[in-house]
Amino acid sequence: MTNVPVEGIAIPEVAHPEPQNNWRKYFSFSTDHKVIGIQYLVTSFVFFLIGGLLSMVIRAELITPQADLIDRTLYNSMFTMHGTIMIFLWIFPSLVGLANYLVPLMIGARDMAFPRLNAAAFWMVPVFGILLMTSYFLPAGTAQAGWWSYPPVSTQNPTDSVITGEFVWILAVAISGVSSIMGAVNFVTTIVRMRAPGMTFFRMPVYVWTVFSAQIIQLAALPALTAGAIMLLFDVAAGTAFFNPDKGGNPVLFQHFFWFYSHPAVYVMVLPIFGVFSEIFPVYSRKPLFGYRVVAVSSLLITTVSVLVWVHHMYASGTPGWMRMLFMATTMLVAVPTGIKVFAWVATIWKGKLRLNTPMLFCLGALIMFVFAGITGVMLASVPIDIHVNNTYFVVGHFHYIVYGTITMGMFAAIYHWFPKMTGRMYYEGLGKLHFALAFIGVNLNFFPMHPLGLQGMLRRVSSYEPEYAFWNVVASIGAFLLGMSTIPFILNMVGAWVQGKPAPDNPWRAIGLEWLVSSPPPVENFEELPVVVSGPYGYGKSDPLVENAAALKEG
Amino acid sequence: MNLKTIVGIGVYVAVLIAASIWVGQQAYGWLPPQASAESMLIDDLFSLFSAIGTFILLGITGLVLYTVFTQSVSRFDTSDGPHMEGNVKLEIFWTAVPLLLVFFLAAYSYQTYQQMAVRGPMDLVHLHHMPGTTPTAYAADLEPEPVEEVEVYAKQWAWSFRYPDTGVVSADLHLPVNKRVRLLMTADDVIHGFYVPAFRLKQDILPKRTTEFEFTPVREGIYRLNDSQFSGTYFAIMTANVVVESPDSYRQWLARAAAQPAVPAENPAYSEYTNKRLKRFGGWKTIAPAPPPLVNALAER
Amino acid sequence: MDSSISTEKPDVAIAPHAAHAHEEDHAGNSMFGFIIFLLSESVIFLSFFAGYILVKTTTPNWLPPGVSGLEVSKPAINTVVLVASSFVAYFAERALKKENLLVFRLLWLLTMAMGAYFLVGQAIEWSELEFGFSDGVFGGLFYLLTGFHGLHVLTGILLMGIMLFKSFVPNNYAGGHTGVDATSLFWHFVDVIWIILFILIYIWQ
Repeated sequence: MTNVPVEGIAIPEVAHPEPQNNWRKYFSFSTDHKVIGIQYLVTSFVFFLIGGLLSMVIRAELITPQADLIDRTLYNSMFTMHGTIMIFLWIFPSLVGLANYLVPLMIGARDMAFPRLNAAAFWMVPVFGILLMTSYFLPAGTAQAGWWSYPPVSTQNPTDSVITGEFVWILAVAISGVSSIMGAVNFVTTIVRMRAPGMTFFRMPVYVWTVFSAQIIQLAALPALTAGAIMLLFDVAAGTAFFNPDKGGNPVLFQHFFWFYSHPAVYVMVLPIFGVFSEIFPVYSRKPLFGYRVVAVSSLLITTVSVLVWVHHMYASGTPGWMRMLFMATTMLVAVPTGIKVFAWVATIWKGKLRLNTPMLFCLGALIMFVFAGITGVMLASVPIDIHVNNTYFVVGHFHYIVYGTITMGMFAAIYHWFPKMTGRMYYEGLGKLHFALAFIGVNLNFFPMHPLGLQGMLRRVSSYEPEYAFWNVVASIGAFLLGMSTIPFILNMVGAWVQGKPAPDNPWRAIGLEWLVSSPPPVENFEELPVVVSGPYGYGKSDPLVENAAALKEG
Repeated sequence: MNLKTIVGIGVYVAVLIAASIWVGQQAYGWLPPQASAESMLIDDLFSLFSAIGTFILLGITGLVLYTVFTQSVSRFDTSDGPHMEGNVKLEIFWTAVPLLLVFFLAAYSYQTYQQMAVRGPMDLVHLHHMPGTTPTAYAADLEPEPVEEVEVYAKQWAWSFRYPDTGVVSADLHLPVNKRVRLLMTADDVIHGFYVPAFRLKQDILPKRTTEFEFTPVREGIYRLNDSQFSGTYFAIMTANVVVESPDSYRQWLARAAAQPAVPAENPAYSEYTNKRLKRFGGWKTIAPAPPPLVNALAER
Repeated sequence: MDSSISTEKPDVAIAPHAAHAHEEDHAGNSMFGFIIFLLSESVIFLSFFAGYILVKTTTPNWLPPGVSGLEVSKPAINTVVLVASSFVAYFAERALKKENLLVFRLLWLLTMAMGAYFLVGQAIEWSELEFGFSDGVFGGLFYLLTGFHGLHVLTGILLMGIMLFKSFVPNNYAGGHTGVDATSLFWHFVDVIWIILFILIYIWQ
């Protein structure tokens, strides 16, 4: 076995036709996973801002008990669209974007397995995003049944037109589903079949493990939502009776379809962020990830249990007692693999050499808020407690600690951490820390008050409420506006740094990982020669090389 | 492990336990008054969860803050931490303890749920065979107790309550204190939810079906009933009063109401819909509220 | 391009092979991706089936008024034809592997014809039924399941058409025939789904 075959497989030397700083490529049908990754991230961030503005209108309405700012139909549209945009147009695409950028680099591949499919999946995002936004201009307005879209509320139609906001909503969610499945097929194939020589499963960074686990959930559970959406679409547009109780249909069936996907979807969203934590804590603690193998495998455990928990959203829905008990047990079981991860992160930073850079601050803040959300999550799993707080602000508070406190904060950590790699520029540390301080205070001010409100019985989705709930609502609204403000330093930082930041070295954090062995930003083909991996992903505190051929990875 | 470490861990755990017990006590104060027998069980459970949760949250936060304040190094320090890849004993410990803990919490929740004996929604499979009479596992213990039956009607966006013995229809739900109540709940149009925070009880009401629900109010007073399942435009103002009173005044109220003619109830959703002056910014056409129910007893506000 | 891989470590010995596989094996990737796509697709059908079973066992007036049941004999013939076509497709695939293009084309065309026969049979059945798409949950589920499956049959026939057309391009199958393999797999999948569907809808009445 000589080195001839290796030379043989090297990509023929085509001079890179495009200069590295060609901004136009970000508006083109590029098949480079790095371009697509950034396209995803930027597009989803735009929708994050739109969804955030909607949430501020919601909090402005709720600053007083009366419904005195906007019409109730508009209010209902606001929270429906806020939820839909944040989930389908911010969290999902931003996570897919990050994974798109990182996974091929981390496993030592030149691109995703199906580059054109990848690009097609991305371009669906702006398409359905714009489609969804156009429903504001329909005579019947947008969908107003909440992001759950439970029938019969969602199938009620006060106008004569067939093209209602609900119709458009289902269509948009369906396109989002197609895009997600295309992405999932691509990621799973890439991770299983495109790993560099020597990159065994147990040498993959935990981030890749979590993306793998999350994408398997997409493949296994998303089709259930698709099935439910198809039936709902026919109920809305063709007068079928699947969920219509007037004609013998069963509205609870939709809830099963919906939650069979939409609870596992939470793990699709949070698992990659667990991966981000697992990457960032070791780098800034200068210690290996504690219990790497167990942490890696616990992601797959979460995947397995995740498809068996959906009924915990339906304790009050007309589910029989035995189902309530069964799903209580499975839901609480999720706490075990999750707990393993939390303890592993704490053990990772324990006795480390901590550097409190912006990504580390975001991760530490997110870790604490995640633990809090996990505790309220176990409370919600308990049937008796859930019977009281189900559909109240307690739930809203709980899942915002997950979706903002954990996922969005974790996403910011990831963006700061890999920003030098993606752009070749350093961000401004001061602005980053300001962003963290504002966001951390904002999240807690905004979402903590929702817990006492829910315990006292304030229901979610209300456009007006009893005066006794006013105090905590005012606090929450102030928090929301602060949280809105917190994105300003982030935007300034990102735009400013990208335009005129200090040039970044290849590995500014002295991190271990294939992506840090190539230049910042990486060349189109990622690696001049494919890496040959010879050790595990977290060799901090040792001096073993990660790859056999470090010098050959880069050009020149 | 030296003596200093052991004492340190001991003090840390002691402080955590003290804080947890304190939070567990405080937890009762975060909830509305306990107006049903079930609410007491739920509050005890919640208090326990809060105490355990406090232990975990403060425990982890404390470790993280301790690490941050003692282990941070300057950005010019390029040294690495110790190369610790894991510790099998420790990992088994923190897998086994949470596992036992969740089994305990699940079992304890199950026990509470059984004691509540909420005659919840019936098994869907049996729903159509005998609406309203499906036996549940818990029904047996309750049989001897006399039960007050009330029919609950929910529609967009009004509640009404019918007392089958007298035929009285009311806009408020009047209940005698300390007596088990069975609600036979139906919805006209969409899924609604019966939720009285002071009772800690919540049950969805499916359209075209009778959903049975049982509980025992134990504290006199006026409480608020909400619609807990999003039901459309005027969802937020679909509320009603629940009046829990002594058996005597309950009977007197029933007798008084039986003598009244049925008149349309006051209905906030209906009046907001018809009152154009309330129009605020924006908005689209909405499902029209159903006409207010005809009631013998108007709401006491 | 100076490749300085040492050949001392056992890890590296496998490297050229692995690297080779991953750079070149686009066909393998495609097949792998297609299989997981099919697995995912089957969950849609599983969801429909689960919904069908749940609703059928809980709905009091399952059949629309005036409908007594479905006629089984004609769909049974259809089923036999569709299942048989899977075997024909298998032999077509084998013929291609032996590079017997003529036999492949003939058998492939026969598979398509049998699929088309199935579709036409379905269409005739639909037109003779006395209930419609919006007649209760049964009507909805019947047309939804058979229609969604029919769509897959149609897709399969179109894919086979494309593969047939490709077989006339000289040397097209010289480097492997992933497209034919995938189409054939898809056809078997559509077949298995139909068998479950037939049992659920026609046998279990």
